[in-house]
Amino acid sequence: MTRPYNRKKIFMATARALTAQPAPPAAAKRRDLSGLFGYVLIAPPVAIMLLLIFYPAIEAVIETIFVSDAQTGQTTLSLQNYIAFFQDPILRANLTFTVLVTLATVFMLFVVGYPLAMYLRFSKSRLAGTVQVLTLFPLFVPGVILAFALIRFLGTHGMFDTLLGIVGISGYRTPYLQPQGIVIALVWEHIPFTVLVLTAGLRQVEDAVIESARDVGASGWQIFTRILLPLTTRSALIVFCLNVIGVFGAFTLPYLLGPAQPMMMGVSMQQAFNNYQDRIGALTQAVLTFLICAAVGVLYVRTITRPRER
Amino acid sequence: MPYRKFFAVTLLVGILIGALIACSSPSAPPATSAPAATSAPAATNAPPPSGGKSVVNFYTDGDTNISDWIANKVKPAFEKAYPQYELKVTTVRGVGNGVADIAARAQAAMQTGADPQAEVFDWDPRGRPEYIQAGVFEKLSPANVPNAKNVPEAYYLSEYGMPYRGSQVLLAYDSSKIPDNEVPKTFADLVTWVKAHPGQFVYCRPDKGGSGGNFVVRALYEVTGKDPKIFQSADPDPKILAEFPKAWELLRSMHDSIYQNGSYPAGNNPVLELLANGSVSMATVWSDQSRQALDKGVLPPTIKVVQFTDLPMPGSYAPLSVVAGAKNKQGALDFVNFMLSVEEQTSVVKDIGGFPAIEWKYLPQDLQTQFTSVITNNVPYWPGGKWSTERDKGWYENVATNIKQGSP
Amino acid sequence: MATLTSATPTREMALNPTLLWKRMRRELLSVVLVVVLFIVIIGPMLTVIFWAFAEQWRYPSLVPTKWGLSYWQETLTRADVTAALPLSIGLATIVTFLSAVICLPASYAFARMNFPGRQGFLLSFLATNAFPRFGLYVSIAVVFFRLNLIGTLPGVILIQIVNTLLLMIWIPTAAFQNIDRSLEEAALDVGASRVRVFLQITLPLVLPALSAAILLTFVSTFYEAQGALIIGVPNIQTMPVLMYSIINSQVIVQYGAVISLVLWLPSLLLLTFAQRFVRGNTISAGFGV
Repeated sequence: MTRPYNRKKIFMATARALTAQPAPPAAAKRRDLSGLFGYVLIAPPVAIMLLLIFYPAIEAVIETIFVSDAQTGQTTLSLQNYIAFFQDPILRANLTFTVLVTLATVFMLFVVGYPLAMYLRFSKSRLAGTVQVLTLFPLFVPGVILAFALIRFLGTHGMFDTLLGIVGISGYRTPYLQPQGIVIALVWEHIPFTVLVLTAGLRQVEDAVIESARDVGASGWQIFTRILLPLTTRSALIVFCLNVIGVFGAFTLPYLLGPAQPMMMGVSMQQAFNNYQDRIGALTQAVLTFLICAAVGVLYVRTITRPRER
Repeated sequence: MPYRKFFAVTLLVGILIGALIACSSPSAPPATSAPAATSAPAATNAPPPSGGKSVVNFYTDGDTNISDWIANKVKPAFEKAYPQYELKVTTVRGVGNGVADIAARAQAAMQTGADPQAEVFDWDPRGRPEYIQAGVFEKLSPANVPNAKNVPEAYYLSEYGMPYRGSQVLLAYDSSKIPDNEVPKTFADLVTWVKAHPGQFVYCRPDKGGSGGNFVVRALYEVTGKDPKIFQSADPDPKILAEFPKAWELLRSMHDSIYQNGSYPAGNNPVLELLANGSVSMATVWSDQSRQALDKGVLPPTIKVVQFTDLPMPGSYAPLSVVAGAKNKQGALDFVNFMLSVEEQTSVVKDIGGFPAIEWKYLPQDLQTQFTSVITNNVPYWPGGKWSTERDKGWYENVATNIKQGSP
Repeated sequence: MATLTSATPTREMALNPTLLWKRMRRELLSVVLVVVLFIVIIGPMLTVIFWAFAEQWRYPSLVPTKWGLSYWQETLTRADVTAALPLSIGLATIVTFLSAVICLPASYAFARMNFPGRQGFLLSFLATNAFPRFGLYVSIAVVFFRLNLIGTLPGVILIQIVNTLLLMIWIPTAAFQNIDRSLEEAALDVGASRVRVFLQITLPLVLPALSAAILLTFVSTFYEAQGALIIGVPNIQTMPVLMYSIINSQVIVQYGAVISLVLWLPSLLLLTFAQRFVRGNTISAGFGV
């Protein structure tokens, strides 16, 4: 059943990496090199990360929780900046909006991605390769080009509108500058990753399992709900977590395709920083965004460190 | 094993390309050699990349009509007039915060005493008062920029930004859809027209493009007695701010009749695009951009522009600012002075459809006659800064949405 | 030979409409899927391609009202473009290469060695994706000024390597972990040296994963803009930085469209390489290799 496709192997290797790791250190005590050497090998990337992510991030957090009094010049530990955030109805609306857009996007990704992954897993068609290339294609399109293309494809009097006009449909309402516009673009952007991981998850379900279910008379739907879905919860959770992290802080697509208000957090913090000269406010939003992503990150970590049930 | 091959070929191609670039591109930015000078501030005069010429780093986040003009017209002229300098033009629009990021960098450079690698900004430093306070910017006056004596006092935005080109926001409409006699002549006319033609008018978010920002300002004028002069103080006057809600109410009343029931694009160009493809038939546009778009055929020739007759929409003078800690500050000052020369001010009018920053009387006579129709002393000035912050916040909170009013 | 075998069924189909129809029915789902995906995925990109070759495109025409190449010349002769394109390709190559050099040994360590905090360190790389980047850049700039890295190639390389860490460490780590150790052990048992075992057994087994990691790293680095902007200008101006500024602020749509197509070229070339090996592999598999 394995196809000799190079791309498929790449595809699989990536997906496997993202679904399977990190397994507990294989029972390899025998050839265990000294721990110290391990630290030497991981030192360069860890150092880069500490210097360029952790150090500035901690600085940002500190800046938001220590508030200096304008009169006395004294600095005190205070959550004042965060309280201010939650008291502002606009910012609250932005946060809610971001959560909703993220959930809608991830939901749509499952609706679109799961059938595609099922198809790629089970189809024996020659066109499966083409389908795979098409689903991978968005990997090679940067966000700004996507926004550029979608405005002209989906916009009023865009290509899609024109096509509808040719077949006689009028009254098209464009998703450009609407929340739907953001969702469409983000789904488009994240399809490759979603399909990649879900296909890998489905491939771990062995044909024999499905065949034996069929032998005892299970219908297609039963196989789907009783076997495929439960056995792919792990990859589904991974898709959920990493997509949430990727979508939540999005900037370019929501900025160019979304409505003026409410806006997603990525846009909102840029605006606070750039237009309102509110550096602390922007950092507060950044830290909050990070905390939410970090919570999802913890879920992710728990998913992948849990031993597989097999 | 085809993988090995694939891997090897990829690597090989990579290395080859890398090597090719390394040896074949003297035209590419001489990346590796340039920073050498930064560590040794003593050895200033001749930075390596340009062989004896000192570099003047110019940054803009203006639309491309401006950056192209600077790169293709101004740069050669400047380097001819001042052979000792090389002007390096960098456009930083669209990523992050544009020039503001470079200003932040300049401040960071001050802290460490490093070369900010920035001399001149096509940018208004009032947007970031903290940088002005920190001393990032040089004060500009006829003392260090001699040609500034020809710039009318009224054009000055602050002593840290030297005005050098102006433009004005106009009302553009499609004359094939709107008969000339139906075109709104006053702001009040426009409001009526928009409500009668839902979905046909659009302006951009005030903070994302001046064509939208100045339209909103015009609404503020409308509710405060049409007197632009009351907005001149640096700190917003609470009494005037108290009048703003009237403007929000006015703009909110148009909201549902704006394109797509109140959709505001994120910039000047997206608005021009909606106008170009016929999605809307009326919009606010910058004078210089609409002129370029008409010249290049981006806008169909049926698009015409007009100005309100009662009180025009504001325009603005874009300033140049000079980094105080710049390595080549003299070059920066010479550049600002050069931009205020009669030749370059003529180029502002001829090449980018802008208004001159020096008085019209200094420009050639034929130019003055040719442009009589746009010569106006009646372009209101909007002070920007904190006023703009109030404008943008108010607009987002009360016009783009009505969350604040709706909540208890 | 290969062309012959692959051509045969096609000819048969073409000659025999009944067979074609049967096949079509069996493939109906696939055909529908391909058509839908084509509209959804390639459709928006077609607008970019059309714009790149349009002199004028006015509604309500489905295709440009006037075709032409004049914007290609105008765009590609812009001094900033001719300087930025080779720079970007070179930069992405260097970053990918260096990232591989520092990350692959690390991923080997993560997969094969046992030291306290191993898992914690490995998972902490997720943070490179979770903290909103823009909140960090100003602080990073301060650090870089101290190190004299602003406006330098090393500075841009460093900031871009951060973005590659996650992919370049996680994918190979899993690959190293998933190798069947008995193969290596068998080779060691028959007296092969460790180096030889690594080169001849371990490496070939992880190469697909490494290729994937390298391909993805190259593409994402090639399109990275914000880090390159804040650290790189004025000396280093990459294509994406240029493209952002042109797409966002240019009344003339064609410049942006042309640059988009030019920017696609390298990643499409890489894809084509992969494609070629697909065919190569099919052939060799057909011969039973």
